[in-house]
Amino acid sequence: MTELPSNATKRLKTMAISAGAAVVGVADAAAFDAHAPARHRPADLLPGARTVVVVGGAQPRAGDWVATSPWLLSTMGTTERIQGVGRRLAQSIESELGYYALYVPPGTASGDTPFLSLMLAAELAGLGSRSLAGPILNREHGFMYWSAVITTAPLEVDGPETAPACPAPPCREMWAREHTTPCLRVCPLHEGGCLAGRLEDGRAVRTGYDAARCNTRVHTHWVGGFQKVLEETLNEPDREKRKMLVYGDFMTRTLWAITYSSTNIAQCFECMRVCPAAHGLKEMR
Amino acid sequence: MGFFRLDPEVYARHKDDVLRLSNSFQRIDARGLSDREIAERLGLDEPTVTEIRVIAERDCYPLDEWQRAIEFKRKACRDWAAAALKRPDLKDS
Repeated sequence: MTELPSNATKRLKTMAISAGAAVVGVADAAAFDAHAPARHRPADLLPGARTVVVVGGAQPRAGDWVATSPWLLSTMGTTERIQGVGRRLAQSIESELGYYALYVPPGTASGDTPFLSLMLAAELAGLGSRSLAGPILNREHGFMYWSAVITTAPLEVDGPETAPACPAPPCREMWAREHTTPCLRVCPLHEGGCLAGRLEDGRAVRTGYDAARCNTRVHTHWVGGFQKVLEETLNEPDREKRKMLVYGDFMTRTLWAITYSSTNIAQCFECMRVCPAAHGLKEMR
Repeated sequence: MGFFRLDPEVYARHKDDVLRLSNSFQRIDARGLSDREIAERLGLDEPTVTEIRVIAERDCYPLDEWQRAIEFKRKACRDWAAAALKRPDLKDS
């Protein structure tokens, strides 16, 4: 193993930004132990892991946020562009620094569980903090997509962010006025939505979250939706009714989404669409 | 070795506990347990817990909830566009 040059972390970060990342940070691999279960920690995936390099970017544009069809963001909001940066980082760490580098795959280890939580990685790398709605928000860029590389290289680590982006000032004002926030109002748990929470001393406190329902919204036309229609079809004794299910719009859209898997994974953005800290509404002509 | 099939009775008996303990639905204040840790706690073997967890993740809501998801997003998206662009006519009726 080669000696790590003193400016290696800085060079790597510069490379990530020039490759298209909006933000880049480094987390201590051991910091995951307190938050992630066994087999979902950096050293479980790459023995000897010391650090995790995290990049964020590829945010939706203003036009994506104001589009009138909810299906637009599910094709424009994609991790694909930032994943390319992650792969380049891994390549650079191995070829230029001579340390092992494992690009964290975007897929799942089993069921819906990821190999490594990219949200946790972003948080530990100081790139953002959890919002009341759930996603990690960066103070400067808001909602973004993440990619991570686990490495044995002893890079300089960044500490977690101390001042969260959530709640944003307009949300604090709204809470004082109406006792709700934009995300809680658009998707309220007590009215068949996913989110419950409050602001306490200016900080967001989540009191409830229906992850299973959130899954039906985020992955409507995805693996879960496919399994549900398949089950319904197999249970349907009438041949013509089976045909309606299999050829119908839900199944067709689901199969398109799965076929173009890398650009159709996330399919619900409503809590982020209304969030002032996620993107901020920029009025354009 | 035959294909692993989960006994539906075992699934029904343990699915709520497995989901509650697992990391499938992450919480901010506490980390979920691994399948092995859950197996130790419930007196099951790890492959059984993995299978229960994966099936239970999908079994929380019926297909109707997926349809409601479509309606929710369509309305929320159009309502936001109407507000953001100051175009009340875009609002979902």
